[in-house]
Amino acid sequence: MGLTNRSFVELTIVAAVCGLACTVWLWPRVASQRVASIAVRLGLIAASQALAVIALLAAVNGYFMFYGSWSALLGGGTAQSAATAGTAASPRPITITATDLGPVPGSGSVLPESANGKLAAKPPHYYAKHHTVAKHAVVGGPSLKGGLSRAARSAGELLQVTISGEHTGITSGRNFVYLPPQYFQPAYARARFPVVLALTGYPNEAWSLVKFLALPATAAGLVADGKIRPAVYVMMNSSVALPRDTECTDIPAGLQVESFFAQDVPLALERTFRVQPSGSGWAVLGYSAGGYCAAKLAMMYPYQFSAAVSMSGYYNTITGSGTGSLYGGSSGYRNENNLYWRLRRLPAPPVSILATSTRGEGAYPGTLAFLRLIHPPMRGYSMVLAQGGHNYGTWHRELPPGLEWLSRRLAPARPHVAPGRAAALGRPADRSLAAGGMGGYQMAAPVARSKR
Amino acid sequence: MGLTSRGLVAVLAVGAAGLLAGVLWLWPKLAGRGIRMILARIAALAVLELTVLGLIFAVVNRSADFYSSWSDLFGADTGSGAIIAGQYSASQAIAPVAVTGSSAVRLPGRGKARAGTLQTVRIHGQLSGLTMPGYIYLPAGYSAARRAARPLPVVAVISDQAGRRAAPDSARRLSATAAVQMAAGRLGPMIVVMLPSRSGQDQGCLNVPGGAQAATFFAQDLPHAIGSVYRAASPFTRRWALLGDSSGGYCALQLALTSSGTFAAAALPPGTYSAPPGSGEFGGSPQLRRQDNLAWLLRHRPMQPISVLLFARGRAQPLLSLARPPMYATSLGPAAGPWPLAAALDWIGTRLSRSGLAKG
Repeated sequence: MGLTNRSFVELTIVAAVCGLACTVWLWPRVASQRVASIAVRLGLIAASQALAVIALLAAVNGYFMFYGSWSALLGGGTAQSAATAGTAASPRPITITATDLGPVPGSGSVLPESANGKLAAKPPHYYAKHHTVAKHAVVGGPSLKGGLSRAARSAGELLQVTISGEHTGITSGRNFVYLPPQYFQPAYARARFPVVLALTGYPNEAWSLVKFLALPATAAGLVADGKIRPAVYVMMNSSVALPRDTECTDIPAGLQVESFFAQDVPLALERTFRVQPSGSGWAVLGYSAGGYCAAKLAMMYPYQFSAAVSMSGYYNTITGSGTGSLYGGSSGYRNENNLYWRLRRLPAPPVSILATSTRGEGAYPGTLAFLRLIHPPMRGYSMVLAQGGHNYGTWHRELPPGLEWLSRRLAPARPHVAPGRAAALGRPADRSLAAGGMGGYQMAAPVARSKR
Repeated sequence: MGLTSRGLVAVLAVGAAGLLAGVLWLWPKLAGRGIRMILARIAALAVLELTVLGLIFAVVNRSADFYSSWSDLFGADTGSGAIIAGQYSASQAIAPVAVTGSSAVRLPGRGKARAGTLQTVRIHGQLSGLTMPGYIYLPAGYSAARRAARPLPVVAVISDQAGRRAAPDSARRLSATAAVQMAAGRLGPMIVVMLPSRSGQDQGCLNVPGGAQAATFFAQDLPHAIGSVYRAASPFTRRWALLGDSSGGYCALQLALTSSGTFAAAALPPGTYSAPPGSGEFGGSPQLRRQDNLAWLLRHRPMQPISVLLFARGRAQPLLSLARPPMYATSLGPAAGPWPLAAALDWIGTRLSRSGLAKG
């Protein structure tokens, strides 16, 4: 039975109620004031209390999706490992495991709704079983004659994907890609979209980015209001080997998680979707552990990610039992993963970072210290809320200004507009990519990476 | 009382202890029959259990600061924050490539026709902070202004010689070889960058843990610097190749294995490549030392989509036997010699034009 299954959570609640009922029922039998009776009472109370705690944990985990499965909680999962050593990685870097997940902007709900309403509010696993995909409609571009629902053109598409890293051999499942409605519109049929890579905290499931952070719904709303420009959102679990806490690190002689996000994921996206290759076309965003990942990836790979948003992130990893050894016992390599050390000892990278925190958060002083160390050509931006904690409510409030900030730093997808209509749109149709770009690369070139 | 205060934890802890003692002590009084007694038991147990759950929540919330206040917990906090931009003085950008000298490359023999340009440069890595002296050969007909033309592939030659006194000679010899091959039509136009393999202590183009970041220089800074100054292929097109001599061979293979997103091909002398040349800097970490062994990488990591050329068949050739698709390894044959420039450049040209053709 799945860890986050509703029936499992209900089972634990029933067990807790039964524990309480048993105690009430057995109560008179241990009512004497002998030591043995008192010991049995204590045992009964402890047992029913333990069942209540388990029910609470199961319910909280089921709701917030800290651990999505038993293997994520206890280990022993086979799906996410570097088992491909010495062999060729999967020829298809991205496998779409479910589609048609919504969300319909303006529905007032952060929950995804399917285009036809039938599959609304079902957990993501449901779609994988019950809904098969017209993959060509998503990957090859819009085939406007048929096969593509009108909903995709007006609401976009949310896909559940498994990403296989060619370079690192890491495979990460149950991640999500949101394609904006413009992706399917004729004017954008040849446009390459900027990409925002969004990373969860630890432990977590990528679905949290859809459900609690409401990233696709928020982005769709802001695009509809004209506040941000359309982008592709790749929503991923920052942990690729749960229950291990890998902190987006290339572990010496171990999992190469940093390279997976910095090299494999961009490559996989570029081979599958019409997205921009790098630099001003890519940004990374994350909360909590994902915030650390976002800041680190941007600082280590500024030619790949030109901007990062770290929401309630920290800037130096504390290794512990959850992480195991991340640095191979090298203090020098540990320092390289400490972003304060990097800012003090290495040249500042050419990236912009928005660091958010709240005055009530433990990470607030550390965030200020990080921002103080930033120096050109790196640029630091801060957003500090007066109230709020380390939770989705806070991050959800920080998201709209954060996305607007990101949108100003991303090279936009350029729609094909008939010459006479450019003025009617009220803004230049063909803003030069180089204006926001970092290098001299010709990013509008057709497929920029080889397929061999 | 604040949600994250010590007072709340103390009150709940004292309350839970008191309730537990009370329930244990008053147990016999609630042991009677009748619905009221049963309801009283349920109430006593439920209050105790909820107090303990509340205590657990308060302790966990305090340590992880999930919710900072009661209003935060009940979702009453609204409003967002303003984004404040940091104030910075204008930064002095260092030119990624400083050209300190330039000379014409001429074909040998009659006429001495001009066949490209050899520049003496210093390449500055913005990210690594390393500056490397080097040479850049630009083929005949190259012009940075011709933006419309297709960007040229690049081969990075990493050689111990490039850092030595004999460097100008070897750079001239190398660019002359490239010019001859191109003039004969055996090699398409490409940019050749010549760099030393040594940066400080490291000789393997590796990041010294907590020290000089040579891997960052070669894998990230170099393609970016060349791409921002010359009409060179973007690293993401995989139209970059590496060529290494006796000490640069480790660099070439190491970079191809770890940055296959940029480098599609590497040509190097045969060898075991079980450790970087020189002393090697692995920060006291046996794991870092292990992954510095390139044969270990080949055995324990996925095969990279690269082509590797060995200059000759050596005694032990682990590379040839370990490579499996999508990695391809081949050798030039015994007569090739230790530094068969022309043949290696021809092979690289074929590999790069193939990867170029494949992507249409």
